[in-house]
Amino acid sequence: MRLPHDSVAGTILTGLALTAVLFFVVRALAGAG
Amino acid sequence: MSGQAGVFLDLALRWTHFAAALIWIGHNYVNVVLTPRFVPIRPADFAPGASSAELESRLRKEHGTFRYAALVTWIAGALMLWRSGHLLDAVMLHGYAAVIGTGAWIATFMVLNLFLVLWPHQKKVLGLVPAGPEERARCARITFLSSRTNTILSIPVLFFMGAATHGAALF
Repeated sequence: MRLPHDSVAGTILTGLALTAVLFFVVRALAGAG
Repeated sequence: MSGQAGVFLDLALRWTHFAAALIWIGHNYVNVVLTPRFVPIRPADFAPGASSAELESRLRKEHGTFRYAALVTWIAGALMLWRSGHLLDAVMLHGYAAVIGTGAWIATFMVLNLFLVLWPHQKKVLGLVPAGPEERARCARITFLSSRTNTILSIPVLFFMGAATHGAALF
């Protein structure tokens, strides 16, 4: 089974997408604190 | 601890944290460059004589270096948070400490991934733990995915490390 891990572009894009999602989650958390 | 000694200790911890992280994640990035795609290993790769005591010693040293660098990174980071008084807030993801806390939680997962998933399987791939050719081939795929997962996770960790000191206006 091919995963994003199987290419350099997939690895970087997954990391960036995760960063973007977490950014909004953390912003909500930090604001709530 | 007096003011200047405390400042020096904080700086030394930060320096250690950066240097150890460079060794650990740098090693991970080198692997991405050298092996951009997963290359399945074949039973022929494990032919008698394909390994030697010298090779095994070098591999142990190489893998030991980045494993312990990961541990040093984690310990120095935890000590920095503790000394700054933000450890609990970071762990609880409370307030602005949630920024560095998120980085710390992801990095903790990365260390656990390295020690509990990658290394036990890598020992079989490298032949440091006896395993048959099929088992070694299976473990090679797991180590690849485990290593690449840490590459992915390093991207948000670096972002939140930077944002913890330079991104207050964004949060």
